[in-house]
Amino acid sequence: MKRIWVILVNVFIMLGILSFVVVYSTVESQAVTQRQIDLFENNTITMERVTENYFDGEQRICDVWSHYINSKDMTIEEATSFVRISHVLPNASAHIIYADTLQGLSTRPRLDAPDKYDVSYERLELLKDVSWIEEEIGKSINVSRAYTNPVNGEQSIAFCNFISLHDTGSGSSKKAILLRILPVSELTLKWAFPRGEFQNAELSIIDVNGDYIIKGHSFKNSSFFEFYRSYNKGDPAAAQALFSKITSSTGSFTMLNSHGEECIVSYTPFNAAGGWTLLNMMQMQYLKINTENWMLIGVVSAGLLMLFVFDMIFMLYFNKRLQTVAKEAESANKAKTDFLSTMSHDIRTPMNAIIGLTTIAEKNIDDKKTVRESLRKVTLASNHLLTLINDILDISKVESGKLNLSPQTFSIVEMVDNLINLSQPMVKDKNIDFRFRTSGMDKEFLYADQLRLNQIYINLLSNAVKYTGPGGSVSVDMKEEPSQKPNCVKLTYIVADTGMGMSPEYMATMYQPFTRQTDSRVNSIQGTGLGLTITKKMVDLMEGTIDCQSELGKGTTFTVILDIPVAEGQPTEMKFEPMDVLLADDEIFMETSAETLESLGLRVERARSGSEALEMIQKRHEDGNDYRIVIMDLKMLDVGGIETIRRIHADVDSHLPVLLISAYDWSDVEKQAKEAGASGFLSKPLFRSTLYGKLNEILGTETKSTEVENDDSDLEGLNILIAEDNEINWEIISTLLDSYGITTERAENGRICVEKMKSAEKGKYLLIFMDIQMPEMNGLEATRAIRALDDPWASSIPIVAMTADAFSENITECLNAGMNGHIAKPIDIKLVIKEIRRIKEESKQ
Amino acid sequence: MKKLLCTALAVLATTLVTSCGGSSDDPSAEFKPSMDKNTKCSIKVVGDYGNFEALEAEFDRFNEYYPDVSLSYVKLDDYQNTLGTVLEGNDKPNIFFFYTWMIGNEKYAPAISHMEELSAAALKFNLDCIRPGLLNRDAQGKVFMVPVFSRTYGMLVNNDLFQKEGLSVPTTWSNLLTTCKSFADMGYVNPMMGYSKDSSSCWMNPVAYPMFVADLAKNPDALKKANDLDPAAGEYMRAALTAVGKLVDEKCVNMQECDTIGDNYTKVILRFFEGDVPMMICTGDTVSGTKKRESQSEAFIKAPFNYSFVPIPVTEQGGYFVDTASVEFSVNKQCDNLDMTNEFMRFLISDKELNQMASAKRLVAPTKAMSFDPVYAAFGNVPTERTFCPEVLGVKDPLAVQIRKAAHKVGKGELTVDEAVAMYGQF
Repeated sequence: MKRIWVILVNVFIMLGILSFVVVYSTVESQAVTQRQIDLFENNTITMERVTENYFDGEQRICDVWSHYINSKDMTIEEATSFVRISHVLPNASAHIIYADTLQGLSTRPRLDAPDKYDVSYERLELLKDVSWIEEEIGKSINVSRAYTNPVNGEQSIAFCNFISLHDTGSGSSKKAILLRILPVSELTLKWAFPRGEFQNAELSIIDVNGDYIIKGHSFKNSSFFEFYRSYNKGDPAAAQALFSKITSSTGSFTMLNSHGEECIVSYTPFNAAGGWTLLNMMQMQYLKINTENWMLIGVVSAGLLMLFVFDMIFMLYFNKRLQTVAKEAESANKAKTDFLSTMSHDIRTPMNAIIGLTTIAEKNIDDKKTVRESLRKVTLASNHLLTLINDILDISKVESGKLNLSPQTFSIVEMVDNLINLSQPMVKDKNIDFRFRTSGMDKEFLYADQLRLNQIYINLLSNAVKYTGPGGSVSVDMKEEPSQKPNCVKLTYIVADTGMGMSPEYMATMYQPFTRQTDSRVNSIQGTGLGLTITKKMVDLMEGTIDCQSELGKGTTFTVILDIPVAEGQPTEMKFEPMDVLLADDEIFMETSAETLESLGLRVERARSGSEALEMIQKRHEDGNDYRIVIMDLKMLDVGGIETIRRIHADVDSHLPVLLISAYDWSDVEKQAKEAGASGFLSKPLFRSTLYGKLNEILGTETKSTEVENDDSDLEGLNILIAEDNEINWEIISTLLDSYGITTERAENGRICVEKMKSAEKGKYLLIFMDIQMPEMNGLEATRAIRALDDPWASSIPIVAMTADAFSENITECLNAGMNGHIAKPIDIKLVIKEIRRIKEESKQ
Repeated sequence: MKKLLCTALAVLATTLVTSCGGSSDDPSAEFKPSMDKNTKCSIKVVGDYGNFEALEAEFDRFNEYYPDVSLSYVKLDDYQNTLGTVLEGNDKPNIFFFYTWMIGNEKYAPAISHMEELSAAALKFNLDCIRPGLLNRDAQGKVFMVPVFSRTYGMLVNNDLFQKEGLSVPTTWSNLLTTCKSFADMGYVNPMMGYSKDSSSCWMNPVAYPMFVADLAKNPDALKKANDLDPAAGEYMRAALTAVGKLVDEKCVNMQECDTIGDNYTKVILRFFEGDVPMMICTGDTVSGTKKRESQSEAFIKAPFNYSFVPIPVTEQGGYFVDTASVEFSVNKQCDNLDMTNEFMRFLISDKELNQMASAKRLVAPTKAMSFDPVYAAFGNVPTERTFCPEVLGVKDPLAVQIRKAAHKVGKGELTVDEAVAMYGQF
């Protein structure tokens, strides 16, 4: 839905709610107003009753007087005297007026003549028409309009009755009018609304013509109808209809007063005083209408507006998020496509090589040289393919968050050794100056996921070697330092090369999958573009840091810092008896080697070159204080290590033990060195433990290394059970082992393997290579079954997994099932032989 | 001397007609309250007006300054006879109506004795805004009553009817007669009408009075005789009475029709609003009720028409503008809340308020800066020689009674002109 529609719908809903609230509030207000008006009308009716009762009471007094006067046949003087003495109220008075002459007597004297009581209504309009006075006494309330009392000038009302007086002149009765007179001011004081919500209301009484009988202050004009017309314009007929209604019924209406204010006027007729109407007027503003509804509307409006704004902001934020997610999804999708495309390309490339070279080899099967070259290239392509597949699987696990670390105790010395060994072939091929230096490597055994740690170090090192041109240099510095984390060491691994370096642009994305620098030189180098990604993920997983400094064309330096737990069972105290040792090395890093030697309790002297070493040995020899051993680097500035050894043994002391050290694979120079008289070989870097072991070996303080290089005779005659369901795999492993003189038996699945073990004689098999995924019974189940056998030999036979399930958790799973080791497919025969030897040695113990 | 003064006054009044708007801008006209605005009290004005909305409007305006002062107007029954009693009674009014004609009448002596001297300097009343001719001063020059309206005499003219019949509003006596004849010839039963049932506000007086006073003004001795009710002064009524008789004789006025008009105020107006009477003779007091009654007349609502109040052209030169005080206000010096009463009077006696009240009442304001309602526009054109103030001339009320009653009887045919002239002083 487009945003405008969302806004419109929101606005529509808001308006709907607001309209509802307004309508509801209006209806409520109207209802409240109506209730107030009803209440106001009821008050008017109540006032009418009160007024009428009051009038009725006053009229009754007048009636009683009239009855009495009539019954006594009184003269006007007698009647006046009677009424005078009957008065109770101080301000009330009475007039008795002859109906014919409108002359009469007052109960109170005239103001201008205190001794005179005569009064005339002749000039007053009041009694000119007396039709409003009922002939029959007590039948109705005969109350006059407010008029000016001619005796005292006060505005008054009068309650009247016709009476009959005795006329002394004629001797007959004479009709007269008895007026019981009350001042309006007196009445007004009593005649007001009780204090309360309608205290601002004002009352008036009008006659049938709208003329005021009694006039409230806010009522203007002499006629209410005139008052209405003066300030309320409109249809005269409608006004006339209203006036008729006012004087004949009970109700209310609104009008404007002389100030232009809207007023509510309620009206109700007097029942007893014919034609009179009580009016009650009050400004509308004094009607207590609940105005809180407006607050409600305001609050609802503000709330809706806030909600709307909040929704809009949230929607915009959400849209932005969605856009980002969509972009990410798009990017991921593109990455997936790119990934598949890359994979397709990267897999097909080595596969093409394998298939093509295999075809070439087949066609030239008789040409040994071509076949060998083809197979060598097939091996390279296969290795690359394997690396690619491993990387893909790793990155897949990393991406899915399923990569778990499987820590185990390992030797950092072996790991470094392995690193050097792995890098040597390429280093040699490219004639790269390779240095591997260690510093402070005190703890040999560490506890970490060796596979992953190795992966980190190998990736960085192989990249350095890979992207460094021939003649360049690659140096590795490994440093052990105290860690902030308990029981850990801080292992710093620095790989520096003088290779092609990286551009800042590439460095910004170098940890993303399948990113490789766009460079013609790079394109010529095999790579998956996953190595750095995996490395970074691994480092993160191990809670370490990886840093890269690089300059295009100058080289790159990667620094990985990891806190690695120290394993239990470090080598025991390694100390020699104090003896003099000559260390001949031209490297700056010689200081570190010297320190290592000194830490073993040796007294070290240093020589920077072969000739210097020779001189120092010569001098010592002449002094009869030979060095106990000479440790010499293979490559030195002037005279090489082998040549120096040869001269030492030829010119100085043919028995002086010399340990040859090298950063390179020394297999190439082994023969020469041995002929020159080298007592042993050791690869750089020099670890304490390896150095200690090697020196012991040379000095005869410990037995020789058990490892016999290139001598496989120890393997001949060994018999191994191989549980493998795949025919080809079986053929490969059996053929390869056969080349070492190892005999093999095959079990096609786990169940057969178990059966074979059940029936095997003790010692029939040295070990079992167990595939994991097999029909009928898999390798894990088979292992558990074997471990559960009663025969102690059978149940304890070494079982090594040989499987394509190469992840660390697979290894852990195998070990947990009772296996003793793990070899990943495709197999490296060297590793297989190494594993066989390890087991063979262990079985001897 | 008085004539000269009256003439000068008329000139001044006429001049001020055109500059009436400027008066309200005079800073001195702006009322400034001098008492505590929160004062609570009541002020009652009594009079003989049935209603006095114009005054009630002033009450409302005064309440803008003093919201807690309750002002009311009360009509007294039999005002002339009860005024004295009311002033002596318990319910004393603060302000009461008084009329020039009451002066000198013993009956009203008690009322006069209650009057506060309004010219007292301490009160700071702006009496200068009143036209001097309308301001009644005693021998010592003291002022005890202030006119709030000016009364004049004339006739209401249905301008649309004149236009419809192609006639012009008459401006001379002969023109009046021919116009009436023209209307009569066209079938109009009543070219001119007026109240005729009794002499009070009867149509004959507005015709006769200006003429009589104008004649007297020419002869101070005659005026004295007339004021003294000397029968010899009756001769000065002749022209005026003849004119009244002539209007009847020439069938300008149909007396039978006039006698059907029930009262001298509302009925006169409603009869005029019937729309078939070209000219209705009345006083300015009657004109004051026209505006309100427009909405009460079904005939006028159905067929409204343009009308105006013009001088009756009783001479060949035209009509007279009799500028005489109508109702006057006096303050009861024995009332409660006298200070606030004087404050109200100070508020009221100003060009602004008096003009406003006169406009609301549709009467002529007594101020120097009087402003004519459009209905009265014709009086602004009356030349000074035909404009006079009876009070300035020295005309007294008994004189006015004589001419009014004589004219009524002549108009009614109850007396001939000669008989009426002979009876001067006996009416």
